[in-house]
Amino acid sequence: MAISSVARVGAMAALTALALTACSTGGTDAPGASGGDCAPSDGPVTLTFTSWLPGVEEAVAIWNEENPDIQVEVQTGPNGNGGTYQNFFNQLEAGNAPDLGQIEFDAMPNFRVQDGLENIAACEGILEAESQFVDWTWSQVTFGEEDAVYAIPQDTGPMAMFYRADLFEAAGIAVPTTWEEYEAAARQIREEGGYINNFSQSDINAFAGLVWQAGGEWFSNDADGWTVDMTVGESAQVAEYWQRMIEDDLVAKYPPWTDEWNAAYNSGELWTWVSAVWGANTIASGAPDTAGNWAVAPMPQWEAGASAAGNWGGSTTAVLKGSDHPYEAAQFALWLNTDADALTAMNRTANIYPATIEGADLPVFDEGVEFYGGQKIYEVFAEAGDNVDPDFTWGPTMTQVYNDVADGFSGVLAGNGTLLDALAAGQESTIAALEAASIPVKE
Amino acid sequence: MTATTASRASRTARRPAPARNGGIRESAVSRTIAMAVMVVATLYFLTPIWWLLVASTKTRADFTTTAPLWFADFALFDNLAALFDYRNAVFLRWLANSALYAGVGALFATLIAAMAGYAIAKYSFRGRETLFNVILGGVLVPATALALPLFLLFSQIGATNTIWAVFLPSLVSPFGVYLSRIYAAASVPDEIIEAARIDGAGEVRTFFTVATRMMAPALVTIFLFQFVAIWNNFFLPLIMLRDESLFPVTLGLYVWNTQVSQIPDIRALVIIGSLLSIIPLIITFLGLQRFWQSGLASGGLK
Amino acid sequence: MARDTAGRPSRAVRHRAALAVFLVPFGALFTLFYVIPIGYAVYQSLLTVEREGTFGPAVQVFGGLTQYIAVFQNELFWNSIGRVLLFGVVQVPIMLGLALILALLLDSPLVRGSRFFRLAFFAPYAVPSVIAAIMWGFLYSPNLSPFTGVTQAVDFLSADAVLWSIANVVTWVYVGYNMLIIYSALLAIPQELYEAARLDGAGQLRIALSIKIPLVVPALVLTGIFSIIGTLQLLAEPQVFQSFTSAVTSTFTPNLTIYSTASVPNISLAAAMSVVLALATFVLSFTVLKLTQRRTAR
Repeated sequence: MAISSVARVGAMAALTALALTACSTGGTDAPGASGGDCAPSDGPVTLTFTSWLPGVEEAVAIWNEENPDIQVEVQTGPNGNGGTYQNFFNQLEAGNAPDLGQIEFDAMPNFRVQDGLENIAACEGILEAESQFVDWTWSQVTFGEEDAVYAIPQDTGPMAMFYRADLFEAAGIAVPTTWEEYEAAARQIREEGGYINNFSQSDINAFAGLVWQAGGEWFSNDADGWTVDMTVGESAQVAEYWQRMIEDDLVAKYPPWTDEWNAAYNSGELWTWVSAVWGANTIASGAPDTAGNWAVAPMPQWEAGASAAGNWGGSTTAVLKGSDHPYEAAQFALWLNTDADALTAMNRTANIYPATIEGADLPVFDEGVEFYGGQKIYEVFAEAGDNVDPDFTWGPTMTQVYNDVADGFSGVLAGNGTLLDALAAGQESTIAALEAASIPVKE
Repeated sequence: MTATTASRASRTARRPAPARNGGIRESAVSRTIAMAVMVVATLYFLTPIWWLLVASTKTRADFTTTAPLWFADFALFDNLAALFDYRNAVFLRWLANSALYAGVGALFATLIAAMAGYAIAKYSFRGRETLFNVILGGVLVPATALALPLFLLFSQIGATNTIWAVFLPSLVSPFGVYLSRIYAAASVPDEIIEAARIDGAGEVRTFFTVATRMMAPALVTIFLFQFVAIWNNFFLPLIMLRDESLFPVTLGLYVWNTQVSQIPDIRALVIIGSLLSIIPLIITFLGLQRFWQSGLASGGLK
Repeated sequence: MARDTAGRPSRAVRHRAALAVFLVPFGALFTLFYVIPIGYAVYQSLLTVEREGTFGPAVQVFGGLTQYIAVFQNELFWNSIGRVLLFGVVQVPIMLGLALILALLLDSPLVRGSRFFRLAFFAPYAVPSVIAAIMWGFLYSPNLSPFTGVTQAVDFLSADAVLWSIANVVTWVYVGYNMLIIYSALLAIPQELYEAARLDGAGQLRIALSIKIPLVVPALVLTGIFSIIGTLQLLAEPQVFQSFTSAVTSTFTPNLTIYSTASVPNISLAAAMSVVLALATFVLSFTVLKLTQRRTAR
């Protein structure tokens, strides 16, 4: 064999490495807006905008038509956790991030902590735009800081309960309005041979939405650092509830977003899905045989008569650090997410549900949806959006949190431990990850 | 081993296998068992590809409701039309990009690796073995380790999101250097190089006119391996590219696959796109079969 | 040997010029796209991040071996290495065993139509790992698989089974490739060796065991080492399987662990993990090489 003296390779590589330590770490800071000033650039500019929203080009084309001096170039990639966030971080490190980027709400603190966002509060019209947006979305882009706006909310995912109206009626089961009734209904449905819902082992953001609805939160921060509380209060309450549902075999355990999962909805095995507004299309395309049999009701409540809702998903358009044209970028971001034509276009190509208050009144949301028996389902979601707690805070490493908690949850479905154990393990690894990245944590 | 074994390899490869070993009549039992093993193995290897082919011809509804291994309503052309219609035929663009990255990239990679391998085989110089070992060490490095430094490197010269960011790194094939060294040592006799020198041919010309012809099977093999490696690689393009029109087909399909939960109809496009993306590879392999068969032989030789 | 004609550059000079022409293109590209990035990764792994306050900007400072200490204390990372080692110990011998058997059969007079079989077995190599994993994901699915009778009885995507389900995907893709390398080595065996054996009355099995297999050992070692390297660097297949089953965790294989660490983003820790993984790969392939060399040394 020819590889006989590979031994020297290691030594060589090490030597070369030493010789190269002069490599620069790449630019991190470039002049830009810092909350204090934000002036228009001279002359025409071209902005780059990275988004994975299918068909966002159509909305951008409207802007480019109307603004010959501020042309926006769309770049695409996989969804955030599928690689685009990683790319943003790489690009920020190299100092060549796009001017604008799509960032989901739950990833905002991650980019804020890594100093990846421009503060566009000083840009014309941005602070005044607050009143146009659904309450809770604005607090997500300001982090509660004074004179700070780090992104413009794009879309939201207010949650409600999709349910098989026909099956509930045929079985004579009342549509649950509280979680207690939901569990009781689950037992009856089990006797009918179905499952009330599927417990998703990997949609940790959906689980967070349930915690959010219950009034809990996993993260909080003040000037000294972050606090991680995943195993107390409402979070524990939600975990214990679903633990019971799993142990009593009241929920199915299909991996979500697979064909088996779709098939279980299509065949009528699964009766409800507590999900976000965009889920309306997921069911319609995944379970075509059940058209007309579905309806939408508000989420079951922890207290009878309450009307709390959670949120699952939603994005912002952020101006990334190092942009040479923060003023123009901010104007575009604001237009994209408030202009009726732009919102309509994005709804048509990517099913987005706007984060603006007026967005909920677009004609497309005012129609009865055939798949849901003609119900005006978006009224339910608009109301849910108003009832989302504005004080919920995401942590600075949510991708890691989702991964670690999902690892634990799938263990639970395989029979190892409880959801609460999984949350505790997730909390422990989260604190370790924060410390490893030198992000201050308070224990 | 020596040059003779390698050149025998290329000769024997062209002879039909049953004639080898004398073709003695073996017992019917052994024959039957052997053929049974072959048939079972064929089913194992081809069923998944057959499944993909069948799935590509189905409508979305039939995909989940009809027998997976047999045709239902034949919707192949509808699916193709939908694929080519989606986003201004961006898929065709991706196929063309992949063909460019893999085809041209593998061509140059082969040439570059062949020159290096030939030089290491035929010239003695100080540090020769060390150099060879460092090159071989290249295959040990995980792709995830190279990605970020490469990105920063290309950022320094403002070349991310260009074809060069994907094209240039794929020109390096350590395995190609290994293969061509072994093959050059075995199949290009020193006497021939010496004869060319006496005829007054330059060193470089000798390589291009004499050595490459003798190394042809190895060159085709290197080309194919590198072609497949580039065609399959999606990690580097994922990091480097933002402009959809520069994507290779694997990255494009990966991106679509992450959008399935948002727009479920894309799934059908992913399936037919997968089928189309493997067809060029299979055609390339079939077309060049004659060559790589014997080129491979050298890989296992000392 | 050297008989330089007057007026032409000396042979040594011409040699050196030719060497430069031959080696510089590869050398330059290799330095740019392997050596420098590796060096940079090593440099990154020696850094650590400091920041003040909740949203304070990060500052990179020299941290010595801090990240390496963190790697060695990282249980998940070592679990993932243990997992792929287990994978390799089982999958690599099975794959190479299959490849060897198929190659021997193809090379024997027992099989007709070997040209067709050769291509059929090799076809999966043309399928990119990402797409191979997507296809098998469907074939394993309890409801959609063509073999629902099997997949409903055995859950191929459960936490206990998924490692072996992935092993099957890898085997499927690479058996044909390895088979061809071995088969090509078999073709290179001189006919005379068989004739002698046949005169002694040896059957096909006998010939295979005592002549063919010993002669293809170098090919087996080569394919074995590349398989080991491939195993330690497993990434695409488990990544795709994450969309079919949550049994594939974000730290399932070392490369996945590195990827998810890098997306925190904790680049320095990820770089340290990469360096450790590359060294582990080196040590392992080197050990296998030495062990097999000792055994086959004459």
